[in-house]
Amino acid sequence: MNSKILHLIGGGADIGTSRTFWIGFIIVVILFALYPIQVSEFRASNAAYYLLNIPLGLGMALLWGYCGVLSFGHVAYFGIAGYTYGIIAGNMVGNSFGLIAGVIGGLLASTLVAGVFAYFVFYARVREWIIPILTLVLTILLETFLGQTAGYQWRVGSVLLGGYNGMTGIPSIQIGSFVFMGYSFYYLCLIIVLVCYVALRMLLNSNFGQVVIAIREDPLRTEMFGYDIRARKWLVFVLSAVLASISGLLYVQWGNYITPSQVGLLSAALPVIWASVGGRSSLLAVIIATLILNWVNFTLSAQGNQYAMVIIGTALVITMLFFPRGIVVMTAEWIGKFTNRSNNEATH
Amino acid sequence: MKNTFILEARNVNKRFGGVIAANDVNLQVKPGELRCIIGPNGAGKSTLFSLLCGIQRVDSGEIFIHEHDVTHKQQFKRVRFGIGLTFQTNRTYQDLSVKRNLAIPNPSLAHSKSAHQQSKERMVMALKGFDLDPQDETRACELPHHKLQWLEIAMVLAGFPDLLLIDEPTAGMSRDETDRTVEILKQLNDHGLTIVVVEHDMHFVKSIAQKVTVLHQGRIFMEGNVADITANEDVKNIYLGHAH
Amino acid sequence: MEIDALALSLTYQFGTNAAFLFLSALGLIVILGMMNIINLAHGELMMMGAYAATIANNQFGLPFPLAVIVSFFAVAIFGAILELLIVRRFYGRELSALVVTWGISLILGQGTFLVFGPFMPAIKIPGGSYSYGGFSFSEYWLVLIGISISLVIGLYWLYRYTSYGLQARATMQNAEIAKALGVPTNRVYTLTFSLGAGLAGLSGALLAPTSTIAPFMGQQFVAPAFITVVVGGATNVISGAVGSSVLLSAIKTPIGMAYGAFLGTVALLVAALVIIRIMPDGISATLQKIMDRRRARHTL
Repeated sequence: MNSKILHLIGGGADIGTSRTFWIGFIIVVILFALYPIQVSEFRASNAAYYLLNIPLGLGMALLWGYCGVLSFGHVAYFGIAGYTYGIIAGNMVGNSFGLIAGVIGGLLASTLVAGVFAYFVFYARVREWIIPILTLVLTILLETFLGQTAGYQWRVGSVLLGGYNGMTGIPSIQIGSFVFMGYSFYYLCLIIVLVCYVALRMLLNSNFGQVVIAIREDPLRTEMFGYDIRARKWLVFVLSAVLASISGLLYVQWGNYITPSQVGLLSAALPVIWASVGGRSSLLAVIIATLILNWVNFTLSAQGNQYAMVIIGTALVITMLFFPRGIVVMTAEWIGKFTNRSNNEATH
Repeated sequence: MKNTFILEARNVNKRFGGVIAANDVNLQVKPGELRCIIGPNGAGKSTLFSLLCGIQRVDSGEIFIHEHDVTHKQQFKRVRFGIGLTFQTNRTYQDLSVKRNLAIPNPSLAHSKSAHQQSKERMVMALKGFDLDPQDETRACELPHHKLQWLEIAMVLAGFPDLLLIDEPTAGMSRDETDRTVEILKQLNDHGLTIVVVEHDMHFVKSIAQKVTVLHQGRIFMEGNVADITANEDVKNIYLGHAH
Repeated sequence: MEIDALALSLTYQFGTNAAFLFLSALGLIVILGMMNIINLAHGELMMMGAYAATIANNQFGLPFPLAVIVSFFAVAIFGAILELLIVRRFYGRELSALVVTWGISLILGQGTFLVFGPFMPAIKIPGGSYSYGGFSFSEYWLVLIGISISLVIGLYWLYRYTSYGLQARATMQNAEIAKALGVPTNRVYTLTFSLGAGLAGLSGALLAPTSTIAPFMGQQFVAPAFITVVVGGATNVISGAVGSSVLLSAIKTPIGMAYGAFLGTVALLVAALVIIRIMPDGISATLQKIMDRRRARHTL
């Protein structure tokens, strides 16, 4: 039983299966856990921002890297979850169920939209390029819609949608009188990221995950083994939308606001870039890329750098041209080859 | 005794633009048969398989598997009636290990569980005959061509079908490898597996077949035993390209 | 009398919407039909066309029609360079091609912002307008409808009667056989990508007077252009572009008139989802099937 679980966690669906890897992994997790002790609350909060984007990136890896379905519009589910949480929690301030209702409502709303959308594209068996296009259109329309909701008439209960200025004053999650912010919010994000990573790794090493990978490798062959690949793709799409929603829910906790630009074209590009630069077929590589690129982006835009988008675009083009499997993954492969060779030389 | 068929096509038609790929095709396969379908290039052999499996839909006509009308069923649902297919071009999962290739098919998807034990024995038989190790961690793309063909047959058998459609299994194989394939397919057939093979190679057809169907320009040209078919002048002409 | 005017106005709206969708999608669908590649930098190529026309018109004093032609060639040349340097490495890898052209679009959008600033002085809409029964009709839009129709005829001529057209159709049908028969498929790809880019530039220039000229103006074309292409499909470039823009305009026009432009666009997305549920390969594939069936009936 125990060994089965260990096999699910440690199986070959992601890079890193050796003992050395897992020791390194645990050390890094401990370092992350110790990080807030050495820095100010402000910097811990910035780091929490990098962490909270990881589920969105993992959703991208799951969908594109492991299932072969590309979405350019997963930020739509990030946004839908964030806005829905804001509306529900904002209307139930003071009610002890308000926050949890907001979380559930946010997840349900984005699951519903993703489910309906995915039903249409997957059950129609459309060509693979149609899905990224339509997801992009969906998120652009969402941005346009939210952008024109300025003014008092766009009010749900007591919450204003706020047009391009966005929704403000979104309440933070709290348990009793304990509010997650600063250091505690950092730990909340860290735990959620760890849970998402381990759960996904288990899922992908399970039979379900192996079939998902088989669908990526050859959809027709897999279907001719009797698998309903439409249903599997649908489920994976919805699951990745849920991951995007988790990021959306954490985001509105972090800043207590959300704006339409979170579902705009530039934001939509980001998860695709994290997945490409890291290497979409590895969860861990996408996590690393998400952390580093968010840090770079945050630092650049904090300095008011106008080149941010040019840099991101160039990074994407260069990665696609020269590192088709992702920079992190190809580096890992290179290290693997290098250590193998030195092992061989040692034994000779 | 009621004359039941494990696979039946009734008046099946299919056209692509100006090309007629299936012209009023009637095909009946009894349980336990080992049938060869032959015909020159472009005769519509692979299209017929696609139509039977539902990868393409018929323009008109009906298809039955185990007496179930599957004409309007999705392809994965037809598989669940106990049909298995290998493709003309090898479609093993090239980047996955042999072990994982063999682990993807899932017998519990099929409706009928009657011949479970027999299917299991056939699977063992195929692995042994094709010299495949279900624990092998080698990536499929590192296998030689004939081994890949065998692997795909073994994968399909891992889904426990009772009807196997094989599209040109021995293309590109040496004589020895072809003979080995024939031998194993015969063993499987003796063990209760119904097999329909599309083949080009007359050596293969001669050494395997009980009954042969000749397709030409999308229609069934002739049906009979191997000796009659190979002796027939019209069939020779078709292969040499003289018939119209 | 009022009914007359309303009907006339609806027809006019229908025509302008169809022309807008057609012009937005044309360059995209030309490239898709040939190479199975969706060029996500399409909106930015249209933006470049608009900039080229504006600069030619405002700074070099070229008359507007000439400026439009200049922008066609300018963007076509840029497209050829793009194909040679980047896009050609991605044939056969549809999803990677989408991602790389998206990267290009980000660079082009922000790059334009850095070079030219947040906005450009607009081009005045050429021509005047008529009014009838309380509705007004712009001369320029009527001209655009006319240009759209002539583009359809021009493309038909190009694909039907030129040697490029013959080679392009051969490559579209089966690239490998075409190559074996001596068609220089690589050059056909470059030319087609360049043609598609040029048409995007041309459309951008033509639509420039009707919109604000800004670095991120390309984004407004993304939704209509891509929906038109998805609904049209890539089986036949011309029937896809025309069929889809006409059908979608018939959906958008009444809804847009009654409920406003945004809901008109939402209706487009919903319509696209429903249409692909029925016709997964788009209108052009369905039209092709109907024509095949008719031909089959004639031959039998």
